[in-house]
Amino acid sequence: MDEKIFAKKDIGKLLEELVPEYKFYAPTKIKGNIAFKEITDVKEIELDYLNSKVPPKDVLFPQKEIIFEYKYEGKDVIIEERKDLEDKILIFGVRPCDAYSFKLLEDFFASGDFQDDIFLKKRENATIIGLGCNTPRQSCFCTSVGGHPFQKESTDVYLSDLGDIFLVEAISDKGKSLVKKLTWLSDAKKADVDKAKDLAKQAEESITTKFNFDLVTKVLDENFEHPVWQEISESCIGCSSCTFLCPTCTCFDVIDENDEYNNRGRRIRIWDTCQSCLYTLETSGHNPRPAKIQRCRNRIMHKFSYYPSNYDCLGCVGCGRCITACPVNNELRLIIDKILEIEEKSGEKVSA
Amino acid sequence: MVKSMGLETENKEIENNLREIARGLLKEKKVDVIIGYMEGTLPLLSQPIIIDSEEDVEKLIWNNLCYVNLAKYLVPRVPKFVNPEKGNLTVGVISKGCVGRGLIHLASENKINLDEIKIIGIPCNGVVNRQRIEMEIGEKEILEVSVFGDNIIVKGKDFEREFPYDEYMNDLCKTCKIRKPPLVSKSLDLCVGECEEYSNIVDDFSDISEFEALTPEEKWNQITEELSVCTRCYACREACPMCYCNLCFVDQNKPVWFGKTTDLPDVFVYHLIRAMHMAGRCVACGACSLVCPMGIDLNKINRKLEKIVKERFDFTSGLDPDVLPPMVDFKLEDAQEFALEED
Amino acid sequence: MTEPSVETKQSKNKEWEPKIIAFLCNWCSYAGADLAGVSRIQDPPNIRIVRVPCSGRINAYFIIKSLTDGWDGVLVSGCHPGDCHYISGNLVARRRFAILKELLEFFGIEPGRVNFMWASAAEGMRFAVLVRKATEIVKKLGQNKKFEKKW
Ligand code: SF4
Ligand code: SF4
Ligand code: SF4
Ligand code: SF4
Ligand code: SF4
Ligand code: FES
Repeated sequence: MDEKIFAKKDIGKLLEELVPEYKFYAPTKIKGNIAFKEITDVKEIELDYLNSKVPPKDVLFPQKEIIFEYKYEGKDVIIEERKDLEDKILIFGVRPCDAYSFKLLEDFFASGDFQDDIFLKKRENATIIGLGCNTPRQSCFCTSVGGHPFQKESTDVYLSDLGDIFLVEAISDKGKSLVKKLTWLSDAKKADVDKAKDLAKQAEESITTKFNFDLVTKVLDENFEHPVWQEISESCIGCSSCTFLCPTCTCFDVIDENDEYNNRGRRIRIWDTCQSCLYTLETSGHNPRPAKIQRCRNRIMHKFSYYPSNYDCLGCVGCGRCITACPVNNELRLIIDKILEIEEKSGEKVSA
Repeated sequence: MVKSMGLETENKEIENNLREIARGLLKEKKVDVIIGYMEGTLPLLSQPIIIDSEEDVEKLIWNNLCYVNLAKYLVPRVPKFVNPEKGNLTVGVISKGCVGRGLIHLASENKINLDEIKIIGIPCNGVVNRQRIEMEIGEKEILEVSVFGDNIIVKGKDFEREFPYDEYMNDLCKTCKIRKPPLVSKSLDLCVGECEEYSNIVDDFSDISEFEALTPEEKWNQITEELSVCTRCYACREACPMCYCNLCFVDQNKPVWFGKTTDLPDVFVYHLIRAMHMAGRCVACGACSLVCPMGIDLNKINRKLEKIVKERFDFTSGLDPDVLPPMVDFKLEDAQEFALEED
Repeated sequence: MTEPSVETKQSKNKEWEPKIIAFLCNWCSYAGADLAGVSRIQDPPNIRIVRVPCSGRINAYFIIKSLTDGWDGVLVSGCHPGDCHYISGNLVARRRFAILKELLEFFGIEPGRVNFMWASAAEGMRFAVLVRKATEIVKKLGQNKKFEKKW
């Protein structure tokens, strides 16, 4: 049997063996929130978690990232490129939805005339160890966006949580050579594999939030100017939580930090969000998205209309973070309902 | 604080009363629209809602999960509060104490015309500290939240826990002395429902004395630890009724004053200066902390601000629209014990 | 960000000297500093002066920005209350300083980093004495490291 197993208590062994080679990122608890952080001590790893607050995209596309540093020498400016991009990264315990988000991020950062070398280099050097979800939440809807609580495709190595042990499956070539190196893994029994299948089925059945996104995309494409957007944006306070915590949001702002006292500086990128009024503000003072109505619309259009037309897939992985994060409860399920209502109403009109 | 009749009965009573007033106001055309709270789709949340018809009055609720300060929606006015032909509509605002204070304070800053609103006062019995409950429940999904007796009851798939409300109330609600909106004596028909006149508010600020007694080093460590997870999403700012600036200082780039990164000094400075801007303006609604996706607690800072302006300028925000806010006012005899003097 | 100016940097045989940025009102304190100079009153060489039209011009941004830029201390000096050239600039400023001073302390910044004083154009001596006092306070606190960014 190709599948392997290892006991959860042996996670330390895994860490010990991989840390010399990889920057080992795993879920840990920081101030009450689960976050993916670089781990050196096994005690920091938190295995009992639903999902992280900030998505693991933060590892490859962090909130703040140095693009390059520079220094003045006489009249010259010397640019120092990042030296850590060749480091090998391993992200342990990524939920299937978040694992899939890396593909969407890659689609974005690799598209167009200019490629984002920093992200792509890091992505290339990253190994994703996925972990299936035994207990999806009310807000999870991965199955509506082509995913699954036990989806393996976007991971390199895939784990199923069988209680005291993890079932290990090598998915990609990267994953296969990694698993081969871990000689201490034992072979899985058929019962283990069957158990994982059962869990997967149960998990899938327990997902209650479901959308018909084909229809959503169609309605969106036809209703850019519909009054429903007013209603949708009414209670939004523009807090950006929905975009900052989204695993597929890619927007960033570039700033220079100039340290004139030491003749040096650095160019940095930080996350930006279309929910901020500054996002589209032009130098002239004109703002094509001056109000919340346009900003709220942009988020929904981007994920469910522009992504389908640009990349032929939805720009959403169904993690449900925007549903739970919105402090005014202006959540995606309600937004989608309102959008689909347009279609229902027009259907009624036609049949009447 | 919590009366013996039990939270659920108390809430029902508040809810019934506010619905009745809302219905009356709409019927008599004293207001065009009403903003209030309605049931949320997730446990531990409610939704702001704007209604303009009597039928919808039944949607209005009160349940200790009504965090957002509704004054936010009036500066600037959301589109539903403006009629393209008639101009500004008269808005009824379901007001717990701090919403009423927010509206009145905004009027003192000339941001709201009190003639165009009605404060529908309710005797607020506080809101839940949702982040604290979420964090204590940890990595389990909360499916249902209700109040019963003196407790908040939180249920999930295979657990049920009770949290004593007195303890799990939002920190600013614990010390709140202005539970009903202040009565503005000069315009008595501004306030409907339960409002109250306040004079000589006594507050010993003992809740922050422990923190104040720490050394600078200890304070620095605690504050920076709290802020260390800040993602600079600015939800705290966006939820604050007093943060209505067109261009916040952190967003200014001509010149760039302060760093925009998540490096600790930058995060620290954002919160320090925002606190500076809240002096004498914060109405202690706690919205900033309650909306923070990272669960950062800014309440202590807000309490300190309240204390400073109370002690130095004998000012409590949001009580009287005709009193100048302290930071645009001055007295020759203001204390200046901090100024250097020759020995 | 990092250490400004060079001359006061620590050298082997001299003890460490703080660098203090001083915002002085044009009408009084700046003139007071000038008077101290022409009267040859010794005052510590630690301050770098920024002349402002009135202490009311001092935004909290200036003070906090100075700290983030690495100054060890900030000194603000204006006309005595009641004597402001613009009548009430310093009175409004005084409230602002009161709040800032208390908040800095609450946030864990040593309150002595930021000092306020009043000195008139005729008080060259007072100016020198108070600047010395401020310098000593900051010196005792040591370098301002809390706002330093990692590079
Ligand atoms: S949406 Fe939920 S169930 Fe699906 S993969 Fe993500 S966390 Fe798991
Ligand atoms: S989380 Fe909610 S309130 Fe915040 S920006 Fe998104 S939709 Fe608006
Ligand atoms: S809401 Fe929280 S995370 Fe966002 S900027 Fe404010 S304190 Fe930081
Ligand atoms: S600072 Fe926070 S508590 Fe104070 S008014 Fe603003 S949101 Fe409310
Ligand atoms: S923090 Fe200050 S500048 Fe920014 S929005 Fe609030 S009051 Fe305005
Ligand atoms: S002119 Fe000196 S303080 Fe105003």
